[in-house]
Amino acid sequence: MSNFGFALEGAWKVLAAGLVLGAGLPVLFALGIRSLAWGADAAAPRPAGKALAYGLFAVVILGVLLGLTYIVASGFGKTISFDHFWPAIVDK
Amino acid sequence: MILALVVVTALGFDFTNGFHDTANAMATSIATRALRPKTAVALSGILNLIGAFLSVEVALTVSNAVVRIQNADGTPKESLTTDGGTALLLIVLAGLIGGIVWNLFTWLLGLPSSSSHALFGGLVGATIAGLGWAGVNWNGNGTKLDGVVGKVILPALISPVIAGVVAAVGTWLIYKATVGVAARFTENGFRWGQIGSASLVSLAHGTNDAQKTMGVITLALIAAGDWTDTKNIPFWVKAACAVAIALGTYLGGWRIIRTLGKGLVEIAPPQGMAAESSSAAVILASSHLGFALSTTHVATGSILGSGVGKPGAQVRWRVAGRMVATWLITLPAAAVVGALTWYLGNFVGGVAGAIVIFVLLLAAATGMWLRSRHAPVDHNNVNDEWEPVPASAPAPSEKVAL
Repeated sequence: MSNFGFALEGAWKVLAAGLVLGAGLPVLFALGIRSLAWGADAAAPRPAGKALAYGLFAVVILGVLLGLTYIVASGFGKTISFDHFWPAIVDK
Repeated sequence: MILALVVVTALGFDFTNGFHDTANAMATSIATRALRPKTAVALSGILNLIGAFLSVEVALTVSNAVVRIQNADGTPKESLTTDGGTALLLIVLAGLIGGIVWNLFTWLLGLPSSSSHALFGGLVGATIAGLGWAGVNWNGNGTKLDGVVGKVILPALISPVIAGVVAAVGTWLIYKATVGVAARFTENGFRWGQIGSASLVSLAHGTNDAQKTMGVITLALIAAGDWTDTKNIPFWVKAACAVAIALGTYLGGWRIIRTLGKGLVEIAPPQGMAAESSSAAVILASSHLGFALSTTHVATGSILGSGVGKPGAQVRWRVAGRMVATWLITLPAAAVVGALTWYLGNFVGGVAGAIVIFVLLLAAATGMWLRSRHAPVDHNNVNDEWEPVPASAPAPSEKVAL
């Protein structure tokens, strides 16, 4: 296969991962903010909104931790495998 | 002697690399005032320092992507080390000088160009001059993405588009998701979102870019016979590179920060968060998949995308066009400087040649720095309105030392 083929093959994977992590996580974060604002109604506070917000923030933080783990792991010559769906640190 | 010049020049390149790329992570946070300019560059500098120390893995074969001066295991080609490594050291020195000169020149113009392209360009030019066209790895061997085309040109065309699409989608959805939410929630939330995502970009930059210089210095040490272990990097090399890139980042290429933060798009906090998240995700995903790319191209694409994704936002396509033009000529321009430098160094010959080109580098750097003093950009005026260019900007005090 030529360089061009390899590049296209990599490109759509990067685009997919980018959309899920790079656009999806910020949107969850934004929804968390919305939920937080919705729950903090001064007249009638809605605890559910706050709970949902923290749930969404937790998902975002997990995503960030995944990124951090990857950076640290790659520094040690390891990488993260998604072979079993759950991320696992393996040798490169 | 030549070895010492190579080490100093490589650290100088590492410094300009940090300095040039502060904007990639921090331009958005500075433009939206999520962080004060000085705080932003300090945070980015510290994260680059940490990131550089995290790179335990050896990036000794960094030059193999574009030129053929090393064997597959990282040791220099024997034909280049017969005379104490002078042949290889001169190529590396000339290549580094090409990279630095181009980095400084684009900084003077306030244009974000890729530091890795500048380094690769310089090396390609010096290699063509020293070894001929066959010394360059143009297309790889067809088994994986490799060579100048696969590691440099194709990623440069593709990665900004991907980053732009991701950031545009993210921006658009974030605005949809927060329509009508009170400002006291969105402001604080997006502030932290921006700081977090920009920090990830800084850390990833430290691990990736400092490693390149570490690889180059270690290659030079091996060529000169001062180091033999291809599995490890001397600790002082790692420490020196980490400090150089962090210092460069901390001093901040304010001109480039200004162009990226204010020149392309008027960035609002949700856009800043979308842009940096997109950059972080695209950089990490690509490096996971072994897809080489430049942080600069990704960050610029992301910021443009955040302008496209926000309903009614204005994108200054003329500024974007200048940037793309700069990217196109970065590799050849750095290559020309690298090649000319090699010819000059080779013409004078030996240690004297290396000293001559090193002195010329110092002269060029000083000249460009002096030129930059005519219209200084620093942390005081980095956020001024883009147009019209403020004639009455307060003359800022001397801060951007080089």
